[in-house]
Amino acid sequence: MTTDISKSGGSAPKDEPPRSAPEAIRAIPVRHYGRYVAAVLAIGVLVAIVLAFANGDINWNAIPDNFFDDRIMKGVRETLILTFLSMLIGVVGGITLSVMRLSKNPVTSSIAWFYIWFFRGTPVLVQLFIWFNLGFVFEYINLGPIYKDEWSDFMTPFLTALLGLGLNEAAYMAEICRAGLLSVDEGQTEASQALGMSHNKTLRRVVIPQAMRVIVPPTGNEVINMLKTTSLVAAVQYYELLKYAQDIGNSSGATVETLLLAATWYLIMTSVLSIGQFYLERYYARGSSRALPDTPWQKIKANMLSLSNRSGVR
Amino acid sequence: MTAMVKAEGVHKSFGHVEVLKGIDLEVASGEVFCLIGPSGSGKSTFLRCINHLEKVNAGRLYVDGELVGYRQKGDKLYELKDSEVAMKRRDIGMVFQRFNLFPHMTALENVMEAPIQVKGQAKAEARERAGQLLERVGLAEQQRVAIARALAMDPKLMLFDEPTSALDPELVGDVLDVMRDLAESGMTMIVVTHEMGFAREVGDSLVFMDGGVVVESGHPRDVLTNPSHERTKSFLSKVL
Repeated sequence: MTTDISKSGGSAPKDEPPRSAPEAIRAIPVRHYGRYVAAVLAIGVLVAIVLAFANGDINWNAIPDNFFDDRIMKGVRETLILTFLSMLIGVVGGITLSVMRLSKNPVTSSIAWFYIWFFRGTPVLVQLFIWFNLGFVFEYINLGPIYKDEWSDFMTPFLTALLGLGLNEAAYMAEICRAGLLSVDEGQTEASQALGMSHNKTLRRVVIPQAMRVIVPPTGNEVINMLKTTSLVAAVQYYELLKYAQDIGNSSGATVETLLLAATWYLIMTSVLSIGQFYLERYYARGSSRALPDTPWQKIKANMLSLSNRSGVR
Repeated sequence: MTAMVKAEGVHKSFGHVEVLKGIDLEVASGEVFCLIGPSGSGKSTFLRCINHLEKVNAGRLYVDGELVGYRQKGDKLYELKDSEVAMKRRDIGMVFQRFNLFPHMTALENVMEAPIQVKGQAKAEARERAGQLLERVGLAEQQRVAIARALAMDPKLMLFDEPTSALDPELVGDVLDVMRDLAESGMTMIVVTHEMGFAREVGDSLVFMDGGVVVESGHPRDVLTNPSHERTKSFLSKVL
């Protein structure tokens, strides 16, 4: 049907119903049969695993009995302290190394390159063993008038663990920090230089604050990694969660049970850190991505809604 | 009048690419000096040489009678230390095409930053001055804040690197108004621009650059309305 607009003068044709908002779409959603199949398979495998363990020779009571054992609690504390201090060394060392690496001075940048090359290129367990066995190389530590002691008294298991983990972490943090520093637009450096700011001031006042949004999220990830990596220091006789758990296991005979107990504690700690990490990343995503990722609670709510609302309209 | 900026045979190469092939020019104190030309002609590079963001390969460049980036003793040139270069940059304000405001600071903090960090001004004093400057330029828009930031250091020379090229068309006029006010207050300004209207009305001198050399220079009205070189003519016929 054609209407002559010039003659009708803009008035609506009479046979058309009065204008209203268009009706909301109610379509039948696509059925995802693959999801049902996957769910059935997953539940099947899970049941098989549970059955296997239930029939196995395992003393489940050993886990809750020892869960809050004094030694376990001490181990948890040691693990957390070691994580915190190693990360502290790692972050401070990493920032220093990354600034050195980006420096125009060829000596400092080569030193940083060499450090990162060595500590990133060798396994951390090997590094721990090297620190542990340095006593075979040096009998004394002699820093002139400042400090002098026998090496074995100086290099305690704690210091071995801390140096091994911290210095290794510094190499990784250096690369994270370097990426962060490089992510800041060159125009920022130029603008602050054009204002007469020195190299150091430019770095401290302009570049580093902006690099933080790139540096902080992967650093959270490194903390979670470090928490798990601390278990390696059990190999150099430092008593943390794993070492204490192994001790209890050896004396009580419940080896696997105490290992599962330790695993549970590690899971609890990494889960708490992961929650922190999630909100940290969400905080630093502000301004760079349009839609912030849903929090787990928002995700659950959305899933519940879509399940109960089969008509497909949300 | 004394020369605020004096260039003698300035050459600049990036690797094998020679961007400036001998620039000779003089900018008088209190003058508004406009640089025009096609992109890649070296006008921005020349501007950046003036505050030593780029190193000159050959020739001499003087700001306020002092050699840029070097110290001359007898017939030998000594490179200046970073701190000495920074010292000289205090007196030269620069406004960038892409503003380069510090995004982690407020407008006020952007303007306060250099006086506090570089000149050691007291915070309250810097805040008051920054407030006045922002009021003067009008706080509404990034490039005007960037101009206020440069002015906060009380420069004797202002460099503008295509200040309106990245702006919304609506905002161009406001920024040009701020620059016109600044010119009327007697500030020495070197402006790389594509705004021929601004160059004609506000400029005291104009230089047309192409291929790393100065093709033509003179009073803006003369060059813009009556260019003597073919290259200038063909450029102007496309942009006017």
